[in-house]
Amino acid sequence: MSILKIDSVSKYFGGVAAVVDFSMIQDENEITGIIGPNGAGKTTVFNLITGVYSMDNGRIFFMNKDITESPAHKRTEAGISRTFQNIRLFKNLNVLDNMKVACGWKVRYSLWEEMIRLPRVIREEREIDEKARHFLEYLGLTQYTDQKPNNLPYGIQRRLELARTLIAEPKLLLLDEPAAGLNPREVVSLMGMINKLQQDYKLSIIIVEHHMELIMKICSLIHVLDFGKKIAEGKPEDIKKNELVLHAYLGDEG
Amino acid sequence: MNFNLILQQLLNGISLGGVYALMAVGFGLIFNVLKFSNFSHGGVVTISAYFGYFMSQYVFPNFVITFILTAIFGGFLGVLIEKLIFRPIRLKGAPLTLFLVNSITAAMLVQQFFAVMWGDNYYPYPEFIKETAIHMGEFTISKIYLLMLSISAFVLLVLGYIIKKTKIGIALRAVSSDIRTPSLMGINIDFVISMAFFFAGVLGGVTGYLLGMAFTVDPFIGSMIIKGIVAAIIGGMGSLGGGVIAGLILGVAESLLIAEIGASLTPIVVYASIILLLLIRPEGISGKTYIVKA
Amino acid sequence: MFYLKVLEITSLYTILVLGVYLMTGLTGLFSLGQGGFVSIGAYTAAIAFMKFNLPFPVALIMAVVMGAVLGFLIGIPTLRLRRDYFLLITFGLGEMVRAALLYLSQLTGGALGMAGMPRMVGLPLILISIIFITFILYSLKRSRFGRNCVAVRDDEMAASMMGINVYAQKMKVFIISSAITAYGGALYAFNILFIEPNLFNWLESGRLIIITFVGGLNSIAGVIVASAIYYSFGEFFRFIDVWRDVLLGVVVILVVIFRPGGLFQGLELLPKKLIEKVKRERL
Repeated sequence: MSILKIDSVSKYFGGVAAVVDFSMIQDENEITGIIGPNGAGKTTVFNLITGVYSMDNGRIFFMNKDITESPAHKRTEAGISRTFQNIRLFKNLNVLDNMKVACGWKVRYSLWEEMIRLPRVIREEREIDEKARHFLEYLGLTQYTDQKPNNLPYGIQRRLELARTLIAEPKLLLLDEPAAGLNPREVVSLMGMINKLQQDYKLSIIIVEHHMELIMKICSLIHVLDFGKKIAEGKPEDIKKNELVLHAYLGDEG
Repeated sequence: MNFNLILQQLLNGISLGGVYALMAVGFGLIFNVLKFSNFSHGGVVTISAYFGYFMSQYVFPNFVITFILTAIFGGFLGVLIEKLIFRPIRLKGAPLTLFLVNSITAAMLVQQFFAVMWGDNYYPYPEFIKETAIHMGEFTISKIYLLMLSISAFVLLVLGYIIKKTKIGIALRAVSSDIRTPSLMGINIDFVISMAFFFAGVLGGVTGYLLGMAFTVDPFIGSMIIKGIVAAIIGGMGSLGGGVIAGLILGVAESLLIAEIGASLTPIVVYASIILLLLIRPEGISGKTYIVKA
Repeated sequence: MFYLKVLEITSLYTILVLGVYLMTGLTGLFSLGQGGFVSIGAYTAAIAFMKFNLPFPVALIMAVVMGAVLGFLIGIPTLRLRRDYFLLITFGLGEMVRAALLYLSQLTGGALGMAGMPRMVGLPLILISIIFITFILYSLKRSRFGRNCVAVRDDEMAASMMGINVYAQKMKVFIISSAITAYGGALYAFNILFIEPNLFNWLESGRLIIITFVGGLNSIAGVIVASAIYYSFGEFFRFIDVWRDVLLGVVVILVVIFRPGGLFQGLELLPKKLIEKVKRERL
């Protein structure tokens, strides 16, 4: 069963092609990788899926619904969550509130109730609080609950972003270079973590990453981008042998 | 409205529009580099207007000398303001909101300071030009307006040359499009920003002098910056050329509207049209847009 | 008597500052046109009461509704754009309101302003209003709405990825803020008993923003204290009154440079929190 279908999508910035005619199908409960040299358009693909940019061409379907025209926040509500290449936590909110923000759209109380803090608001806030603490514990972040994200080590911030995506209970998770800036030990634990949460929450995951070992080990399917175009698609072992891919990565000497 | 009156208003409008253009560009220079709305530019205009007044009234009663002195003074004032209130927070990596707060505060500070010190009086510049108008039949041209127009045009042309052709102009444009990368290429960002404030300050100085000369000097003269800002919006934020054209359009539109519907209704019509313009074409005339980097 | 008067004036302005706090402090939306909303509130209430003989409570409600509606109308074209547009357009709006009030002199009395309103607003009503508004803002701040505000202020793009409709959020904030500000204006008209078009210019709007920053973006208590100090200061030290904006300006720049979180940082003056803090510091 496919959960996400991207149908020949293109995006140009002032005449410069960032993504050209890109198509892919993401199956349910699979982990897929997108790789490619710097500036190949990988993050742009994420931005098109999540609605940060509108696309110039093509269509995107999520769970068989056309979301091409949906605004970004609607796509999150539909079940797409993401992390960011250069961590984007809210620096004026503490760790707990960063978690709570991500599930605000699930809240049922109205603005009016919120203004005068009716019992229903207090009740729901308590539920959110418990939920946020639960996910912090799930990723081993409990000890940081009251801290501001800027004061935390890099690896912890990355993990907090991951926790923040989970609280929205997504169906599709987009991880943008989750291993960037992590040391080798942290990368190993990250791989374990991604596999674990994929199984625990029945997630479909797409990973953009430079870290080849991580991609090759945990992805079942890999798409390779170069200059905005897809140059290869296949299982890790096939990608490793693909000439075009080697060429794109190593240049002419390769 | 008869034809002569229209022509007359057109000329007045263009002269006034030239000053609006100066302000729009002074505002736009800083917006391009640091991406915040620099209200303190109004402060530079005010202080320069007073400076020009005191210089020409008490030191050298000579137009050319005091004008050049005021322009240079404005430039250094700009640099000083940057050093005092913007550099410290920039080096700390403060968010744009704090730049904004400081710029609004500086504008307020200057206005209130002058209101307290010299607020109860109007200060007219000396009469540099004896015969104030040229008569051609029914048609009268104010010499001061003519002077305003030619000076604005000259200053803007020089600035245009500097930005397009000189090394510092190229560095300025590089920093405008991306403030981080140029430092990797050996461009001294601090210096370029200082230069941006210097050029903007010179424009502010010229604006202050011209406004002071055409009208009188009072603490609220800096509030005229709103016209420059409006021009910058119409022109498309960050487009200097757009700002110039929009400044001229605004000046002409204002002059014609004042003649047609009166001075009290004009600002209402002007602002309402700008809000409408934003609905239809938010990127302004130049059509420059910003891309959010993800 | 003198102290009561000072308290009254200070409290009136504090309502205005609170309105701006939600928008500028919590959400990072800068408006240099809030003075215009004060005028709108003041004039709407005064005209409704004086010219149309409507009962005072109705006049108050009309002021609030006018503020909210105007906020909505201005928000439509501006809130989708870069924040600078919002700032600059609201700046223009303030001037436009002023020009409109001067122009509609039949209704507003033009440059002469309006006077002769009965004194319907005393200290009790002002204080009750402050308490009520503070309660609402504090409630909002510590539930979803407040978190969304801060998220939008910190990073709009990331906020939209959290499922926040950034445009709608900013719109709600602007409407609520404008309504509070217009309400403050209406109270002003029926307490000070004289209003004129130039009373609330861009400088007043700028001052409201600046006081918010001195108090601290994340602290309602800080904003109230800063506002109280600023607005009572001039009343107590008449001889220095004219200099207070200059003084305020210097203080603000120093605060922004050396203590960018504002004097109060994120601290709220709640008995519970204070006790916790004292305890923590003792340990």
